[in-house]
Amino acid sequence: MPLTAEGVTFTYRRGRDAVISDFGHEFRDGTVTALTGASGRGKSTLLYILGLLLRPQAGTIHVGGISTDSLRDAGRAAVRAGNIGFVFQDAALDPSRTILDAVMEPARYAGVPRAERTSRAAELLDELGLAERAHHRPGEISGGQAQRVAVARALINEPTVVLADEPTGNLDRGNAETVLAALRAASADRTIVIATHDPFVIEHVDHVVEL
Amino acid sequence: MSLRDLLAEALASIRSQWVPAVCAALLALAMVLVTVLTVGRTAAAEATVQERLESAGSRTLIVQDGSAHENLTTPIVAGIAALSVVQTSFATSFPEDATPSALSGAAPAPIWWFQGNPADVASLIAGRWPQPGEAMISEQMAAGFGFEDPVGALTTIYGGEELPVVGIYRASGAWSDYAAGALAPAADGTVMRVVTAIGTSAAVVPSMQSQILSLISAQDPQDLRIVSPASLADIQAQVGADLTQFSRSLLYLILIAGAVLTAIVVLADVLVRQKDLGRRRALGATRADLVSLVLLRTVIPAGCGAIFGVVITAILTTTAELRTPITFAPAVAILATLTAAVATVSPALLGAYRDPVLVLRTP
Repeated sequence: MPLTAEGVTFTYRRGRDAVISDFGHEFRDGTVTALTGASGRGKSTLLYILGLLLRPQAGTIHVGGISTDSLRDAGRAAVRAGNIGFVFQDAALDPSRTILDAVMEPARYAGVPRAERTSRAAELLDELGLAERAHHRPGEISGGQAQRVAVARALINEPTVVLADEPTGNLDRGNAETVLAALRAASADRTIVIATHDPFVIEHVDHVVEL
Repeated sequence: MSLRDLLAEALASIRSQWVPAVCAALLALAMVLVTVLTVGRTAAAEATVQERLESAGSRTLIVQDGSAHENLTTPIVAGIAALSVVQTSFATSFPEDATPSALSGAAPAPIWWFQGNPADVASLIAGRWPQPGEAMISEQMAAGFGFEDPVGALTTIYGGEELPVVGIYRASGAWSDYAAGALAPAADGTVMRVVTAIGTSAAVVPSMQSQILSLISAQDPQDLRIVSPASLADIQAQVGADLTQFSRSLLYLILIAGAVLTAIVVLADVLVRQKDLGRRRALGATRADLVSLVLLRTVIPAGCGAIFGVVITAILTTTAELRTPITFAPAVAILATLTAAVATVSPALLGAYRDPVLVLRTP
C-alpha cells in the first residue's frame, strides 16, 4: 500500500480542539481519492500531514511501506523528495526560472544527476503538451498550463504518491478538466490524493473521503 | 542536495531577488571601509607612535659616576655589554680638553677615552680606527681645524698627552654627544665615568636599569647619576594599551552594527520569500538545505562586497596615502564576511522552521 494513515490526530495548538481526530485510511495504488468537507475541516492539513510536512500528535503515516514516525527532518525530506509529489492551488512556480527548470526542482533536492533530470523533465513536458513552452517563464504561460507544469513537477521523481491541494481552485472548467485528466493519467501506477471542494473533481475521482 | 546544485540554486536565487543581495554586499563593503578608515587609521597611528617610542633615543640609559669609588671598572663595563637586554653599550671618561699639537692658539675640543666598540657609535669616514695611544676626530672637529685627512696629533691640555690622529668619524644618531670632539681608546684598567647602554626594546629598559645597577652595586647610591627612559617605556605601554582598547571597541561596534543591519535585511528577505521557502520544503528540500541556501544568498554577495572593499582600500593606500598595514583590509574582509554569515543564521533558521502549510495555503 503506497500510503496509509492510522489513528492520525492533529491540533495546531495544545489545548485547542483537534483539527483531525483519529483519522485512518488506506489510499490504494492506481486510484484517485478526494479529501472533501466543509471549509475548516482540515482537508489541506491532512494533505500536508500525509505529505510529511506536518507531524501529527498521534497516529502513523506509512509511505511506500515506510513508517515515518521515527524519521527526523532529513529522513522525512528524503521520503518526500523520492516518494511524494505535490501540486499546489496556485502552481507556485519560481517566476525567475524557466518551465523546464521549474519541473526539475524536486529532482535537484533528490540528487538526480543533471542530464537525467533534464531528459525526464523534457519528457514530462512533452507528455503534458508543454514541450514548446519548456524555455518560457511562468509569467508567459496561462494558469491552466502553469498547473500542468506543476503536475509535471510533481511527477519528476516518479513518486508513488501525488498530493494535490485544490489543484483546480483557480482554474476555469476547461483547464480544470485538463489538469484532472493529467492527474488521472498519472494515477495508473500511483496514488493520487486531492484536497478539494470542487464538485466537478469530486464527481470524477475513484474514492471520496469526507472529513 | 549536492553542494554544486546548492551553489547554482543560490546564484539563481541571487539573480532573481538581487535587492537583498546588493544590500548584503553594500553592508559588507561598508563594514570593511569604515573599519579601515577608523580602526585601520588608529592602528597605523599606534604603529607610528610605537615606532617612534622604539627609537634608540627612547631605549638609552646613561649611568654617570662622579665619585671617587671607581664603580665603572673594566670588568663591570664588560659585564654591562654582555647583558642580554643590552643591544649596545659604550663607556667613556668624562671629557677632557685637547688641541691640535701643530695649531697653537686653536680653541680646545673635548676628547673622551672610551671602552667598547667604536663602530657601534660612529662610522669611519677617513683613516682607520685608533689603537691605544691614538685618537680619531669627528668630522665636525676636522672641519673646524681645517683637516681634510686624519693627520697630526692632539695634545690633552691637563695631562699633556700627545695622541696621533689616525681617523675621522661621523657620530651615529643616538651618539650625537660625540659629534664635536675626539675619541681615544682607554688604556686597560682605566676606570670609566659614563656608561651609555641601549636596550633591545623600550619594554626592557626598566629591567636593563635594574640589572645594570645590580651589576655596578655601588657602595653609595648617591655616587651614580642615572638618566633613564623607563618612564617613557611605561608611557609607551599605556599608550599602546589605550590605542589597542580603543581600536578593539571601535571594531566591535562596527561589526555589531553591520551584523544587526545584515540580520534585518536577511529577515525581511526571508519573510518576503516565505512561500518560496515553503514550496522548496514541500518539494523535498531539507531544513539544512534551506538554511544553507539563505546563508549562501547572503555570504556570496557579502564576500564580493568585502573583496571590493579590499580593492578600494588598496587604491586608497596607494593614491590617498592611507597608512594601514597591508594585511589589515583582507583580515577585516574575512571578519565582515563571517559577521554577515553569523548574522544570517537566525533569520535562516526562522525561514527553515516556518510552518510550510501556513505559507503554502491560498485563501
